[in-house]
Order: sequence, then structure tokens, then C-alpha cells
Amino acid sequence: MSAVLSPAPPAADRAAAAGGARAVLALARFEARKLLSSAPVVLAFVVYIGWIGWRTRQSFAGYPALQDADRSTQAGPLLVGMAVLLSANLAVLRSRRHGTEDQFAVLVVPRGRRTAAHVLALLPVVLLTAGCVTGQFTWEALKPGAIGHGSPAELLAGPLTVLLFGAVGVLLARLLPVPSAAPLLSVCFLFVFVLGAFSFQGEGTRWLAPVVSEASTTPLPSDLIGRPAAWHALYLAGAALCVAFLAVLVSGARGLTVKAGVALTLALAVTGAVAQAGGDSPALTAARERATVTPEKEQTCVERAGSRYCAFPEWVPRTAQWATVVDRVRSLTGPAAHDRQLLVRQRIDARYGPAADSAIPPATRRDQVTVGTAWGGNRVPEFSTAVAAVLVAGSEAASDTMCDGRMVTVMWLSLSWQDDPVDALRRVRLDDSVSGAAIVLSPTDPLTMTEGQTDVVRRLLQRPLAGVAAKVRAHWAELTSPKVTTARVAELLGVAGPGKADSCA
Amino acid sequence: MRVTWASLLPVLRTLPWPTLTAAGGVGLLLAAVPRLADGTAAAGPALDLLRCVALTGGLGLAFLLDDPARHTTAAVPVRRLARQALRAALVAPPVALWWAAAVLLVPAEIRPPVGDVTLEAAAVGLLALAGAAAGVRLTDRPRPGPGVAAGLLAAAVLAPLLLPERWALFVPADDDRWAAAHDRWALLLAAAVAAWGLYGRERLGRRR
Amino acid sequence: MNPTVSASGLSLHYGRTRALDEVELRLTPGVTGLLGPNGAGKTTLLRVLATAVPADRGSFTVLGHDPRTARGRQEVRRHLGYLPQTPGFHPGFTAFEFVDYVAILKELTDRRARHREVRRVLEEVGLGEVRGRRIRKLSGGMRQRVALAAALVGDPGFLVLDEPTVGLDPEQRMRFRELIARAGEGRTVLLSTHQTEDVAMLCRRVLVMAGGTVRFDGTPAELTARAAGRVWSSTERDPGAKAGWRTGTGTFRNVGDPPAGADLAEATLEDGYLLVLDGMGAGVAA
Repeated sequence: MSAVLSPAPPAADRAAAAGGARAVLALARFEARKLLSSAPVVLAFVVYIGWIGWRTRQSFAGYPALQDADRSTQAGPLLVGMAVLLSANLAVLRSRRHGTEDQFAVLVVPRGRRTAAHVLALLPVVLLTAGCVTGQFTWEALKPGAIGHGSPAELLAGPLTVLLFGAVGVLLARLLPVPSAAPLLSVCFLFVFVLGAFSFQGEGTRWLAPVVSEASTTPLPSDLIGRPAAWHALYLAGAALCVAFLAVLVSGARGLTVKAGVALTLALAVTGAVAQAGGDSPALTAARERATVTPEKEQTCVERAGSRYCAFPEWVPRTAQWATVVDRVRSLTGPAAHDRQLLVRQRIDARYGPAADSAIPPATRRDQVTVGTAWGGNRVPEFSTAVAAVLVAGSEAASDTMCDGRMVTVMWLSLSWQDDPVDALRRVRLDDSVSGAAIVLSPTDPLTMTEGQTDVVRRLLQRPLAGVAAKVRAHWAELTSPKVTTARVAELLGVAGPGKADSCA
Repeated sequence: MRVTWASLLPVLRTLPWPTLTAAGGVGLLLAAVPRLADGTAAAGPALDLLRCVALTGGLGLAFLLDDPARHTTAAVPVRRLARQALRAALVAPPVALWWAAAVLLVPAEIRPPVGDVTLEAAAVGLLALAGAAAGVRLTDRPRPGPGVAAGLLAAAVLAPLLLPERWALFVPADDDRWAAAHDRWALLLAAAVAAWGLYGRERLGRRR
Repeated sequence: MNPTVSASGLSLHYGRTRALDEVELRLTPGVTGLLGPNGAGKTTLLRVLATAVPADRGSFTVLGHDPRTARGRQEVRRHLGYLPQTPGFHPGFTAFEFVDYVAILKELTDRRARHREVRRVLEEVGLGEVRGRRIRKLSGGMRQRVALAAALVGDPGFLVLDEPTVGLDPEQRMRFRELIARAGEGRTVLLSTHQTEDVAMLCRRVLVMAGGTVRFDGTPAELTARAAGRVWSSTERDPGAKAGWRTGTGTFRNVGDPPAGADLAEATLEDGYLLVLDGMGAGVAA
């Protein structure tokens, strides 16, 4: 900013130019203090930090994939950005609103440099936002269940959005010096960027918004996400700086540095905007295809207690949690199933990108269990159910059509070892009920429970674990026979039978 | 009453027309988005859209009581509430027309229930006016508008985030809570009117 | 003594109105008063000298710098303190913050030295006690002093004050005179005012403007001398007087051409001023 006025100061004026630059910094420091203590910004940071605390305590059920956690830091800064837009706008308008423009016009620091100071005054807020983003992400990364890799470019999006919004506030004050302009623009931003309603639907234009979220519950390996995050960060930085330079330019500083700054940053923004709109590369599409169709070629396998766990490299640490579930379920089975070697394979459908939530077909291979990429919360009883179903029916494909008494055994194996089995039953069922017929979720196709099976399972879960476990072991062969009815299972396990016969219509 | 009629024209000229026009223009521009954007639009966004339009209207109204001559007119015999009500009455017909235009701009097949959304808009507008009246009463500034607008905007952004489930106001149109939420909106409208009545009165010295 | 400010042929037109018409000016250190009726061009002259508006024609220099080039104007501004007629304030700032803000805009960049300077000028204008209070909470007189402090900060060599004593009570005005007198020690101060007593008590020189030109340029004593022998007392209003009014003692005080044998009274600076405006003072002095 030092050469705002004179592009090539002669030696005699160099000291004066340096003095001018120092004045801009001193003014920026003053304005930064005012901005940080303005009511909208304080309120926004209180809400933002509160939101981080409230959200991160329970986000991702304690098992974040960091390549998703980085994106989840982007929504909060929008709020801060709006507040900064308002406050920076009012700060620039201050001297006009209170009639000091005339006095200040004859002071040494000219208008262009004052605008430059207003832009520089945004940096502490941006840094504070970056601090909050880093804090939120570090918190996720420090969770014991965290896996994967975050992307620095995704983390930059939030702070850069704040910079962009603040610069827009400054520019707006110079273009349209009325105090109602900024609130009205905020409503438009709210509508377009936050509510994200009508526009930005094409793949190219979608990325013009500062924050592009992907609603998805299934994390992908970081190299398959395919978000142009770095280009987007370049686009945001270019746009923010371009708006900032424009604000200085329209304030009367027509120096070469400013014009060059506008041109250069515009070029950056356009480069970013074009590059981010490129869509998925053929290599990425091929990689997604491979990970979906032939995951075994991409995965790392580990042996744990006689079973084999194959995961995408980033998920290898999580095989320990899967093994715990497998061991707990297997310990409740009869001796025939005790030594069964399971293959737990992680499977995803990455072909439609990170926003898609596609169903995964059940594995047909005997003793293979599918596990997804998310973990924690309901994903645990769902996986547990899949393990139990494979141990009882032989394979996922076989368990899919199961409509007999074996369902009771499956559900009992899946739930009885958990902390609160009845609650786990509620969570694993689609309609969150503990009575009546319902769909039971699993990593692949769901299973169904009839009303009678539900009643029997509930009665079993209310019994002491050891007593039922002994009976299960004793009658294992009959309990896992495809011909067993629910009534017979109830009888074997010593609880009241179902009101109706099995029927899975 | 005669005084009110006589002051009609002068007041008409002192209203912050540029701000009101700008707010109205932005609102209509927003309302026109579904017609401008090609492709199919959904009903959910249309509701958000009309809420944003109502918010622009509210932001415009937040500046309605800004009066640079406030300290000069403070001592006239016409009561402050009457002066404020006159200002509101003068903008009411154009605002009503504007809202009707905004609602009509949203295609009929995705338009949310008009009566209920109008209730929301009216509550937002009255809240803005009550805020402006509070700004006049509680501060000595001739132009409390920017602060009121910032407050209204903050409320609009934070209310959907922070309101507990029991007091939810911003519910989708197909939600079970729609009717209950609009009872709350009506309550909010009444509260705004009451607050305006309260803050529109001038402070009297305490009597012994 | 070398003039700090000298101007020749300064002219400025607003449409058809001639706000300044060929103004010649030489200011030396000390306080110079600028008198004149409303619309005489005083504020315009001050705004031109303060580099707030450029003149249409003519030139002037401040401490040897010509404000017609961008660099010269910067240099002028580095040595300038300006108190406009209706100064604005940021009501949310404290007195200290506001003066500090102005000090930054005057390129006082060393934080510690600047804060010391801001405290000094606030002490000087008697606001040391309330410097942490928001301007919103200050009285009119205090605000005026904040504006003066803002003009004084950075120790400018040329101080332009446009009616700084308007709206002040007599005691505050006295204080202000003290401040301005002190500011005039070693500096060039141009003080526009309607208060002839201010000029009589403060100024080494006085200018009288009317119709965009300087009608009088001399010492206050010289201005007073223009009315010598042109003020008299009578029991009735004298129809020949340019101005006349009943005083508290019941007699009339007349200014103008006295009739023969009139009871002459002692002239004041204001009398001289009135006569200059009337286009008569010059005739008598000549």
C-alpha cells in the first residue's frame, strides 16, 4: 500500500512515503480495534464460538473423518462474515454519517489510504476466525476416534469468506454511501449463500458461492472427494483481494500499484473460478470406480483375533473398534460359530461423489461382513447386526431374505452386549420404535423384524445376559437353522412366544 | 386532526424515500428470482424467499423514523406517537402494494400460504417500527435507523439458530408446527404493536 | 518578518456568485482576526487556505509550499490545523480516541509519542479529566474544545479556526481566548469570528471581508481609529447616523458622520468595523 499515491517516489520523498505507509498501519490498528469491539462482530463471535463448542462436542458421533471435519468448519464463518460486512461498512461510513469527512479531507492521510486501512483492519478478524477454525478442527482431530486427513484449503475457506465479506462491506460503503445498503446486501447474501436456494445449481456456478457444502453422511477417502478446494481458496482469496483493491481504487488512489493489484487479483479470482469449475477428472472418476467395484485392490488388511479386517488406508486405525464389536458378538455364539473366520470389508459407493448417499448391495461371499466409512452412534448397532446376521445366516446376501426365528437370535446377538440394549434396539430400527414390525438398518440392505420377533427380542433383552447366553450356546444349531420359527426360538430361550406366526409380507 | 392533515405533505417529503425505495427494489428483485432463474423451483426455497423479502421490507422500515430534524420537532404539540403513526400510515399503502407484488411474483404453484406469510411479514415490519420507536425513545440520536436495522438483521439470522423448539417461528410450510408457529407470529405482531405504543410515547418527568 | 502564508489574486466562483474576488493576503506569526458579515466569503477563504477546496484563480503558499501540486498540498496539510465552522464528531468515540484518530490521519505514527501528544493537547484545552468519556456525553463547549484539540494536535505551524467561539458561554469564551492566544505564540493563526471583542483582545492584526474581497487589513488599533470622531451620544436618535441605538443609560449612541458640536464618545473596534462595512471608514482614514 506504500505507493498508493506516487508510483515512483524520488529519493527525497521516500521517507514521506514510508511515513504514509506507517500512518496506514496505525490507522488500520485503530480501526481493527473498533471493528473487533463493534456490537455485531462481538455478537457474531459469541454465537460462533458457542456454536463450535455445542456442535463439536457431539459432531460425527465422536468418530470424525477429518476430510469431512475440515468442511464442517465453513458454515460458522458465514455468520461472522455477515457481521463483519455490516461493521466494516458502518466504519467506512462513520465519517460521512457524523460529518467529519470535511475535516478529515484536509488531513495528511488521503481517502484512498484511509480505505486501505479499513481493508487492513479486517485482518485481525480474519485471523481470529482462522483461530476459531483451527480450534474447531484441532478439537476434531484430537478426538480418539478421528481418522483421515484434513485439507488446509478447505480450512482456509472460512477465514477467506470473512475477508471477502468484509472487503465487500468496505467497497459498498465507497460505492453506495448510505447505511441501508449493507443490511440489504446482507439479506441477499443470506438468501443466496446461506439458504442456498435458487441459483448456483450447475457444477460450475455452484462453486462461485463462498461456501459449498455437501450434504452427506458417508465419508469418502480423501483422494476420492474431488472437491477443488485449493482452486476455490484461490478464487476466494483473489476475489477478496480484488474487491479490496477496487475499494481503494474507487476511493481515489489511482496509483499504478492499485491498478496492478486490481488486475492481478482479478486474474487470480478468474483463474480459480475457471479451474474449480472443471468438474471431476477422468483419473478421479476411474479411482472412484475402482474403490467402489474392486475395493480389495485399494485396501489394507489386518488380522485381529482370527478375523481379517480390510479397510481403506485412512481407516486402518478404526479396525480395532470393528474387531471389538466382532469379538463381542462372536463370544455370545455357539461353539460352531466361535472359530468362524470373518472377513470384514469396508465398502463404499464413491461413483457419485461425496454428496451422494447410495445403497451398497449385500456381499454374497460367505463370512464376509460389510462396514461403512462412518462410525459411532447408530453405526455401531447397525454393524453389530450385520456381524450377527452373517454369523447366523452365513452371508449378508443370505441374511437379507431371512424371515424366521433366526431374526430373534440375530438381534439378540447384535444388541445384548451393548450398554443399553433396548435403546440400541430403538436406534437400529428405522422408525425408532421398540414394538411392532419395523425395518432394521445395517451397512448394506436392511432387515425386517415382525411384531412377534420384536416382542420376543425385547423380552430377551430384559433378561440377564448370562442366562440367555447359556441357552443360545446350548441350542445354537437349532437357533440358526433356517426352518426355526419365532415361537420355537422363544420356547428354546425360555420367554413368552409371539402373538402371531411369522409373516414378512 | 386538522394538524395531522396539514402536516401530511411535509411529512411525506421528509420520509426516507431513497432508503425505502432501495429496500423495496431489492425485495422485488429477490422475489423475482424464481421467475428469472430457469428450471424448477421448490416450495421450500419460495418460503425462504418471501421471508427474505419481508426482511428487506423490515430493514427499510427500520429507517422510517429517522428524522434529521428530530431535535427541532421534538417540542411541537402534536404527540410523538401521532407523528410516528402518520409516517407509518403514509407508507402503509405503498408497502401493501409492494408486498402484494412480491407475493404475486412468486409463481403460484410454489407460493406458500399467503395469509400466514403475510402475517410473518407484518410482524417483521411492526417489529422494525417498534425497534425504531425504541431507538428514538431510548437514545438521543436523530437517526437510529442503522442500529435498528443491524438489530433486526441479527434477530433474523440468530432466531432460527437459537430459538428453542417450543418457540420455533421459522418452520417449513408442510410442517405440523405451522399453525402453532403462526399463533406465535400473531403474538409477536401484537407484542410489536404494544411495544411501539409504549416506546412511541414521550418521556414525562416523574410526578411527585 | 517573512510571511508564513501569502496569497495573491485568490478567486473562487460558485456558479455566478463570487465567493472570493482577487484576495490578497499576507499572514505572519501571531493571531490574525477575520471579520465580516455572513456571506462575506470568510469561510470560503478559510476553506481555500485549508486546502479543502481549490481556488479558481490565484495562488497562495503556506510556509513556502504551493498547494497546487499534489506533493505541495500534502506538505501544506502536514503543517495545518483546521477547525471547521461546524465540526463533526464520532459520538461513539471517546475524546481521546477522536483526537488520536485525527493524529493518525496527520501521520503521527509512533504510537507512544502520539498518545503523549494527544494527552498534551487535551490537557491544553482543559479536557484532561474527561478524555476517556464518549463524545456523545460531552457538552457543546467540551465538544468544541475536542475539535480545537484535534486542530492543535501535531503542533501545526498554521492554524485555521472558523468561528470557534460560536455557542460558547462567556466563561468558556474567555477560556477559548486564552487557548487561542497561547496557540498564537510562535504560530500563525487565522481566526474567523463575529465577535469583535475576540479580535480586540486577541489579535495582532485584523482583516475585514465583505463581498469576497478584503476591505481592511491592519491592526485592531487602526481599525478602531477609523471610527475616531465618528461616534457620539445624543438624547434623541440622530437621523444622520448610519447606526444608532438606545443604550442602557437612556442616551443614544450614534455611529456615522456627526453633526457639528456633537458629544463625541470613545470609539470601539466594532464601530470601526461597522464603518468599514459601510464603505465609509476608508474615506475617513484616507
